[in-house]
Parts: sequence; structure tokens; C-alpha cells
Amino acid sequence: MDDKPNSAARGWTRRRVLGTAASSLAIAAAGSFPMPAIAQSKKLTYWGGLIFSDEANKLLTDTINAWGAANGVATEVVMINQNETVQKVSAAVSSNTMPDALDLGLDLLLLLSRQDQFITLDDLYKKIGDAQGGWFEGTDKATDTTKDAGGRTGIPFGVNGNLLLRRKDLLEPAGFTEAPKTWDELVAQAVAVNKSPVSGLGLALSNVGDANVQVNVLQSYGGRIADDAGKKVTIKSAETRTYLTWLKDAWDKGIFPPGNTTWDGAGDNQAYLSGQAAFIANTGSVGIAAKNDDPELYDGSAFSPLPAGPKGTISPITPQTRAITKNSGAQDEAKALLEHLAQPEFMNAYFNVAIYGPVLKSQEKLSAFDGTNPILAGLLNLAKAGTAPAYPDVYNAAWADLSSNFIIPKMCQRVVVDGWDFDKAMDEAQTQGQIIYDKY
Amino acid sequence: MSLAVDPSTRPSRRRRLPTGVRAKLFAYALVAPVVLLIIGLVAYPFFFAIYVSFTDQVVGSVGKFIGFANFVYLSKSATFTAAIWNTVIIVLVSDGLKLLIGLGLALLVHQAIPGRGIFRSFLMLPWAMPAFVAFLTWRVLYQPIGGGINLVLTGTGIYPHVVDWLGQRQTAMGSVIAASVWRGFPFWFISILAALQSVPKDLYEAAHIDGANAWRRFWVVTVPGIRQVVIVTTLLSSIWTANGFEHVWLLTAGGPSDATMVFPVLAYFGMQTQRVGEAAAVSVAMLPILAILVIFATSLMMRDED
Repeated sequence: MDDKPNSAARGWTRRRVLGTAASSLAIAAAGSFPMPAIAQSKKLTYWGGLIFSDEANKLLTDTINAWGAANGVATEVVMINQNETVQKVSAAVSSNTMPDALDLGLDLLLLLSRQDQFITLDDLYKKIGDAQGGWFEGTDKATDTTKDAGGRTGIPFGVNGNLLLRRKDLLEPAGFTEAPKTWDELVAQAVAVNKSPVSGLGLALSNVGDANVQVNVLQSYGGRIADDAGKKVTIKSAETRTYLTWLKDAWDKGIFPPGNTTWDGAGDNQAYLSGQAAFIANTGSVGIAAKNDDPELYDGSAFSPLPAGPKGTISPITPQTRAITKNSGAQDEAKALLEHLAQPEFMNAYFNVAIYGPVLKSQEKLSAFDGTNPILAGLLNLAKAGTAPAYPDVYNAAWADLSSNFIIPKMCQRVVVDGWDFDKAMDEAQTQGQIIYDKY
Repeated sequence: MSLAVDPSTRPSRRRRLPTGVRAKLFAYALVAPVVLLIIGLVAYPFFFAIYVSFTDQVVGSVGKFIGFANFVYLSKSATFTAAIWNTVIIVLVSDGLKLLIGLGLALLVHQAIPGRGIFRSFLMLPWAMPAFVAFLTWRVLYQPIGGGINLVLTGTGIYPHVVDWLGQRQTAMGSVIAASVWRGFPFWFISILAALQSVPKDLYEAAHIDGANAWRRFWVVTVPGIRQVVIVTTLLSSIWTANGFEHVWLLTAGGPSDATMVFPVLAYFGMQTQRVGEAAAVSVAMLPILAILVIFATSLMMRDED
């Protein structure tokens, strides 16, 4: 028989290979197009800030999902590690895949607000504030993006900042029952308990955000990063010299833990939790970790504001905010969600498991801040009395750039690691700082 | 049975391309997906990164072309200058040490020694270990208090004082290089061992008969036999070391005082400042160094082929 073989039985020809490949490509391409709107329900994607507390992360996720279920909105919550927010947002902006709403810190909020990435939320901000006794002044000023974006783009939900964490179980037997009021007192107390394996003063001096506490110390001694216009760098000054004298004196007393010039972000946490540091400046996460993992250490610890220098206390707050993206197709739903997330019931539960201080005046009355939790009590004080970011300097893009380049911690390293004299170290910081400021 | 086909219903024969052209087209069609992938995944990001380095792009903006401004800014930065030298030092010293250790161990286990199979596997462990785990382990070893190295030194009385290996300029770079060498030498070891096994034994026997001693045999037989592999290994390892991020980041984050700052860590810091253009410029600035290395290695290989 001379029958032609049927197609199924035929072998793979070049034409079939190419044809199949082309078909596959066409199907794949078609699959990437969005389905018609009629087939979709309203969906809201939320990028939450992943923090160390699993309970807090779960609470936020569950609350958003429960709100979505109750309001007929399909919600997708993606928790983003806060250390990776910049990279994720950068990629999302480039690929036009930003979520509908997200948590973000002040730096990124300001930057993206200038890029017109967010909608303004003045009405919502006012509505929430009016309903809950108004916003704390520091938070209100710090998160005002009107100059950059024509309105407020962020709804604050918490503040953090550094508290001084101390080992009262070591300090009280040495005669120090009160928290140090000044940086000099801090050194004196640290020296008194500085005995191996405990180092008195667990402050980072490395290329890491924690080391920027040194900027606050410098400012409390009267030093400034730049002039009032936020243009001309003024690091080199008599006040900075005084600050460096304090630092070098403390360093020479041997109260800093070995390795603190190369610590990573967890260096001070680990030093305190392992019992190798009597004092650290930290946001309170260490306290939570101690409470969970080492109750004895937690009971032996106390929290207080950062000490003062000759020019007062510089203890900046760092507000955390929520924002809604301009390209969101669910802006009204996102606004409703943000309002829901500002309600006292949720925030009280959230404050109890997270490490944020309050942003609204009525939140002071929440049970979370009744004083039984010393960390939250410290954060309440910070929220009420903390200084604005960068104060007394001007908080602008140049300041953020300089901070991210660790110019002041590097100046410290020049003095304590390289043994440079103060003038040489200040000259380098001044020059490098001005190069950064000249960009803006 | 045969099927009769009416000639009037047979489709008219279309003009067909010559066989040679069709074969070429088919070849191009087969290669096209790979070319597209390379363009999409390698060439586009590469050239886009170069373009971005000439812009003032920050997170959330497209940025505008600013010429060499990013590079001018970087050239004024003390940290950038430190990164250039540190990168060169880390590449030269660590790859030199990896060569010596890899070659020495490869020569050793190339001999017929008992248990060499186990020994070979054992030597590959640092390479098999995830870099993250390896360098965190080294960080723990370097800890001033409770770190393994200090415990051994003080416990045995070799050196009674605690050394802050990563925290002082004099020891930080050496400590980073030591950890980097430990993690990277197995690649050299296995590459050189493979090359050694391909050198004909006849050549050694001939050299031996000609009266060459072991040292002479090494230079006239072994070295030419493994030369090509060493050049390729040098090239690959140098590129990996120069691009390496985790060994410096996990150990010192570039400190203390920029003593171990290298290009990849500096680029990462650039991203932290949200200035994408500057971060790209740091990465692009590393290209000339790598290009010199590639050209040098390639010319050596071509000379061998000639």
C-alpha cells in the first residue's frame, strides 16, 4: 500500500520544529497580556515592611487580608525586608510594577515623592489626625512632603529612633542608679563597668547605619554638618574638635568593644545580647530580643533617652509611613485600607508586638504605652520629645547622601583606627562632605 | 492500493529558495533563540548599565545624560581611590596565593599516595560550602573575644594578646585575603589537577632518561603542560575575586576606614544612597581593570597557540 503516513505518525521535520516553536512563543506572548477587566476582581497589592517581629508581620498581613475579605477586595500582602526596600522599589519603578500601597521610611518617601510616584493624601492625613487628637509635632513636621510633592504623600504609622540601653545589673552595684545624662557621664559609667569580657560602650564606629549615632553626638557638642541653607558643609569646626576629643578620650580608655570599627548592622545587638557591652544605642529591637530569649538580661536592662552634650540632646525620630502609588488602579480602596490601619484597635495590638513609638496624640492613651513596657515607654518619650531628622541641620537629599556614605563614622575611624590628628580627619570629612553637597 | 491524484488539483509548485540559502536560514533560525537570550540577558543589561553610569538616575526616575560627571565625582572620592587599590591588591595577592596553594596541593595528590581520593574530596569542601556560611564562619573565627584564632593564639601562648583581626588596618586586609584564599583555592586545585592528569607520562620518562632532575622536569614538562589551564583559571578567578562581594561585605563591610573597600561593596553603598547612576559608574569603572586582565590572558593563550 502506498498510503501517506498521517501527520501524527510523521517524524519531526524542520518545519514542524519551527512551527511548534513559533506557536509556543505566540501562546507565551499572549499569556503575558492582561486579561480583560471584566474577568478580574479589584485587587490590591500591599508591600509591608518586614520587621524582626514575626507576630507584627503576621498581624499586619492578617489585618489587611481580613479587611480585603470584608470589603470585597482581593488583597495580596508581600512583606519586604526593610534592608531591601530600596532595591525592590527601584526595580519596581523601572518595570512599572509598583504595588498599590506600601510601607516605607522617610528617605525613600521623600525621594519617590520628588519623582511624583505617589498620590497626595492631605485629606486622609487630616481625617486621621482630627479623629485621634492630632499628630505629634515631630512626626507632623518630619513627614511633610508638601514642598517636594505639592502635598502630603505619606501617612505616618510609627516612629523609631535610638534609645540608650544599659546594663543596670552591672551599673547599680557600681553605684550608678540613674541613666547618664551627658555623654561625659556615659563614659564615666562605662569605664566603671569596663572589665573583660564586658566592654563599657557598645557604640558602632563602622560603615553601618548604627554608626551614624556619632552624628547625633557631634551635633549635641554643637558641631554641624552644613550651614542653615543646607549647602555649605561645616564639619570642620571647634565644636567638632571638642566632639573628637571626647571620642578619642573614650577610645583611649578602652571602653569600646574590639571589632566595633567593622561591625555590621547587628554588631551592637550581638555585643549586648552576648553580654559583651554595658551600653548600646539601639531602636529597642535588642530589648525585644532579650525579652524573648534572655529574660534575665532583659530584667537587668534599662532604657533611657540618648545623653546630652553641651548643646543639648539630639535624638532624632525616624518616622515610618504608608503611601499609595500614582499608578495604582485601586487608589480609593488603598485609602480606605490606610485609614483602617490607623484605627486604634489595630495600632494598639501592632505597637505591642512591633517596636514603634506613637504618631498620634491619642495613641499615648493606648494600653501599649501605659508604662508597663519600658521600651514602648521610651519610644513614647522619643515620639513626644525627639528631634526632627537631621536637626539642627537641614534634612535634605544631600544630608541623606552624606549619611549613607558614613562620612562622620569614617572621620571617627580615621582618628581611632588610623591615628590621624583631628585636623587631618576633619579636613577629609569636610572635603568629602562638600563634594557630596555640591551635587545637589 | 495507490491513490490517484488529479494533476489539475495539485497545488502549483512555489518557487523554492536554493538549498544552500535554506540551510543557512535554518541555521540562523536555530541560533536565533540563543542570540536573543544573550542580547536580552547579557548584552542589554551590560550596555544599559554603561548608559546609566552616564546619567543622574536615582530610584524612581529615568535620569538625564550628564556625561562623565559621575566619574569625575568618583575620582574625587577618597573611598573610590581606596577601592581601586584594594581591589588590585586583593586580586593579585589572593590569586597568587590560590595559585601557589592549588598548585602545591595538586602536585601532592597527583602522586600515588594512600587515600588520595578522600584527600581530593576533602580539599573541595571550602569550594562546596556556601560563601555566606564560609565567610560568616571566618568572621566568628576572627572575633576578638571568643574567636577561634585568638583562643588558639592565647591558649597556646603563641601570642598572649587578643588581636582585633578585622578591626585594625594592619590586619584587616590580610584577614580578608586569608578567608578569600581558603574559599577559592579548591577551584585552582581541581583545575590544575585535571591539567596535570592530561600531561603525557612519556614526557616525564623521556626527561628522566635525559637526566633532568625533578625541578627541571617540573619546569620543562609540567609547567608547559598546565600553562593554558593556569591562564584560564587565573582569568576566571581574578574576575570572580574582583567582582566578589560577600567576602568583604560579610567580614568588614569595607572597613575599617576603607582599608578593605572594594568596587562591589562601594557599588552596593551607591545603591543604598539610591543614586543608581553613581552605583553603575562604580561598576563600570571596574571594567578597564578587568579588560586589561582579559586582554593579557587572551594574548598569552594566543601566543601559546601560535
